[in-house]
Amino acid sequence: MELSHKTLSKSPRYAELSLDGLPEGKAITLFRQMLRLRRTEEALLAEYHPAEEMRCPIHFCIGQEAVPSALSQLVRPDDYMFSHHRSHGYYFAKGAPLRELFAEIYGRATGANAGKAGSQDISHSKSHFYSGAILAGAVSIAVGAALGFRYRKSNQVAISGFGEGATDEGAFWEAMNYTGKQKLPILFVIENNRYATFSDQLKRQDSDNITERVRTFGVRATKIFGNDAALAFRTLSGEIERLRQGDGPSLVEAYTFRWNSHVGPEDDGANAYRTPEEMKFWKDNCPISLMEERLRESSLLTDAAKASMEADIAAEIAENFKFAKGSPFPKDTEWRRMNYEDASPLADKLLGVSAGGTFDQNQAEAKLGPY
Amino acid sequence: MDPTEKMSRQLSYAKAILEATDQAMGLSNDVIVLGQLVDTQSGIFGTTTGLVNKYGAHRVMDFPVSENLMTATAMGAALTGLRPIIAHQRLDFMIYSLDAIANWLALWRFKSNGESAMPVTIRTIVGKGWGQGPQHSKSLHAWFAHLPGLRVAVPATAYDAKGLLLESIFSQTPAIFVEGRGLYSMLDDVPEEPYRVRFGQAVVRRSGADVTVVAIGNLVPVALKAAAVLEKDGIDVEIVDPRTLNPLDRKTLCDSTFKTRRLVVADPAWHSFGAATEIITTVVENLGDKLKAKPVRVTLPDSHTPMSMSLEPEYYVDESDVIAAVKQTLA
Repeated sequence: MELSHKTLSKSPRYAELSLDGLPEGKAITLFRQMLRLRRTEEALLAEYHPAEEMRCPIHFCIGQEAVPSALSQLVRPDDYMFSHHRSHGYYFAKGAPLRELFAEIYGRATGANAGKAGSQDISHSKSHFYSGAILAGAVSIAVGAALGFRYRKSNQVAISGFGEGATDEGAFWEAMNYTGKQKLPILFVIENNRYATFSDQLKRQDSDNITERVRTFGVRATKIFGNDAALAFRTLSGEIERLRQGDGPSLVEAYTFRWNSHVGPEDDGANAYRTPEEMKFWKDNCPISLMEERLRESSLLTDAAKASMEADIAAEIAENFKFAKGSPFPKDTEWRRMNYEDASPLADKLLGVSAGGTFDQNQAEAKLGPY
Repeated sequence: MDPTEKMSRQLSYAKAILEATDQAMGLSNDVIVLGQLVDTQSGIFGTTTGLVNKYGAHRVMDFPVSENLMTATAMGAALTGLRPIIAHQRLDFMIYSLDAIANWLALWRFKSNGESAMPVTIRTIVGKGWGQGPQHSKSLHAWFAHLPGLRVAVPATAYDAKGLLLESIFSQTPAIFVEGRGLYSMLDDVPEEPYRVRFGQAVVRRSGADVTVVAIGNLVPVALKAAAVLEKDGIDVEIVDPRTLNPLDRKTLCDSTFKTRRLVVADPAWHSFGAATEIITTVVENLGDKLKAKPVRVTLPDSHTPMSMSLEPEYYVDESDVIAAVKQTLA
């Protein structure tokens, strides 16, 4: 199967998903993680407008569950993960608490950021998860985390997840140049869903050959069918392992598709940027269905097991809604304290106070040269 | 040791910055320096010279000509516990990093609800004179002071440069450190030990009774010279140096003006929407009806910087401009 959005939607249904090489029990875990993420997003989507209680832009990730689910099985608590605006999958992948995600987008004091950030700017510092809505900004901050890991000679990894839209940005290419030269322990994960909002990658770029281009910078790059969770797991597992051994950087481009609009639950089909044929191809290649079929063929999933999984997930989601809706709104209006940390304990410890000098007002300014 | 003897060592502004950086790196392995050519002998006007030999290339890192990535890299490194210092050869180059600064660095603490800090110090230089022209001389401290979440230092003396830089490196809030190229060779008494100058504490550089002149950055020595001239005319000027613009020590500015009832602000930046405007507004809001004269701004014109040596003196502020402004408040 040729991995290009130009041809994928005309391809036959994907038939290459294989459970080979997965550790025992991993396939069912990947399936369960995808189902959790899907059901969570569906529930938020369904509740968004009727109640009008989630008053922040949300970029849903339905259809793009494979990569986050694979990452969720590979990242360590001390790894750092950075995400773009379509943040829920990565937040989930880093194992940050979902009830704090719910409370955050409900604008509550118990949210991950006490209602200051919302869906597209959410972070969870204790989990080392960070996101932001300005494309490629978080990509380049991730570079610094990788530099910090190398400086400390740790085998932590920085993971930066974003879409192909971010590769329009200069900051992305600056990151390729620097990490390729410095060989930093960073994994760039591109979920290529073809469209930056409504704009086709090939309206913005001469070719959809990101992996070829980044290789010229000294960045190892792999392109995969991004709805195959088993393949995503094997690929990302191998790359993360190499990064832990100091063999970086690495980029994985996963071809996938978002089922919903760019933002929110409304249909953005009036912009006519996607064809019915393309939508059908990707729904036929739902990452959850592809995995479920293989699990059933291998007798690893029964109706009863799936029903039990669905019930657990539904209970978790109901609990998350209850927590969010039952939480208080923030009341904090100490604006300065929100923006500045005035305490500086390290300076208190290391620095003394010395009397000031007596500045001589009669001295001349520097004799300036041309440079 | 005799305190006067202890105070006797003089260092240039550039050497004070170098010493602060050196001492910070010695005090903590978390301190690193990133910047174009920081690892060279010339070392950004001598402010980083020799550090690479002492601390190694893993702590004093040359960086590609990618200012935006450099800033973001410092931010990510800070998230892992490092305390990076970035140095730019001119403020004008730093403008490539406005996304990193305005969209990420300034609001990082806010949007993490205070749970995540980015102790990054960004050193930047305002060129002035010898034809630096419109892309080597922009004085944009007010831009940065406008952003919540950032602190902005405008040190005028070697003593303040060292103390504020050390304070910035070991604090939790990011800071922009605006240096005047013309100040680099100017000497001051600089204690040898690592010491702090806190943000938000203005200093009265010269006590006087008649007119308060608030002077910023490289206009501090200019204002002091103007005050010496005015003294001969029997005019007693008080010079206040805010030292940092964010936070701004509004109390000291107001207290001084309350005493003199007259205010001049000398700001080496464009006239409109600048630090001078903010300072005058603060004073007028607090003691408008107590002022004996309209406040006066001494600033650059609302124009980009000309290259030609015939226009530079017209464009930049000197003692005579400060003297005229002080006299205007007494007219």
